[in-house]
Amino acid sequence: MHANDVKMNLEEVIEDTRDFLSEEFEVDRDLILPENNLKDTLDLDSLDYVDLVVLIEENLNIKLTGEDFKEIQTFGDFYQLVRKKLSL
Amino acid sequence: MLVSKAALHLYIPHRPPFVMIDNLVSISPERFESDFFVNEENILVENGFFQESGLIENIAQTCAASFGFLDSEGGGPPKIGYIGAVSKLEVFELPAVNSVIRTVVTPMHQLGNIYLVKGESFLEGRILLGCEMKIVVTQ
Repeated sequence: MHANDVKMNLEEVIEDTRDFLSEEFEVDRDLILPENNLKDTLDLDSLDYVDLVVLIEENLNIKLTGEDFKEIQTFGDFYQLVRKKLSL
Repeated sequence: MLVSKAALHLYIPHRPPFVMIDNLVSISPERFESDFFVNEENILVENGFFQESGLIENIAQTCAASFGFLDSEGGGPPKIGYIGAVSKLEVFELPAVNSVIRTVVTPMHQLGNIYLVKGESFLEGRILLGCEMKIVVTQ
C-alpha cells in the first residue's frame, strides 16, 4: 500500500521506510535513525541511488530526482523531504 | 528501420568484431527495438549458440545506440554509455547461429546520468533473456 493511497502520518511513513530500507539494503533496522547519515548507513554508491529511487517510488509513491538528494544528508533530512512531498 | 547496420558507428563506439546489433528497428523515448543476425563467426558464439554474454551485450548496445540516436535527434552529440550493473537476469534459451533475434529495451528510471532499463531479447516470439541494467551515460 502506498502512502498516498491511505493518508499515513509521518510516523507510519518512517516505520515503513525503516522496514523496506533495512530489507533491501540488508542493514540493521535500528541503525536507520533520523540523526544517522543515509549514504553511509545504507552503504550507497552512485548506482545504488537508482535502486533507492525505485524503492521510494514503489513504497511511498513519490518520485525523487538527483536534485532532491542534494538536500539529503541524514534520514531526518529524508523524512522532511518525504513530509513535504506527501504534504504530511 | 530507423538506423541500419552501416550507420550504427555514428551512435555507438563499438567496432567489429564487437558490434552485437544490426539495425535499430524502432526508437521512442519509452521503447527501443533492434534486430541482430547471429553469424557463426561471431566471437561470442560457442558450440553453435550465441552466449548469454552476447545477449547481454546486445541489450546494452541496443540501449546505447538508441540513446545516441535520440541525442543526435535532439541536436547534440551522442553520449557514451557504460554498463553499470546487471540485475534480475533470467536466461531462458540461447539462440543458435543463423538466428535473427529481436531485442526490446524499456527505460524505467533515470537519476542524473544513470538510467535503469529493462531489456529482453526474443527469437520468433519466445523470450531468450531478460534483465535490468543500469547504464551510466557520460555527461
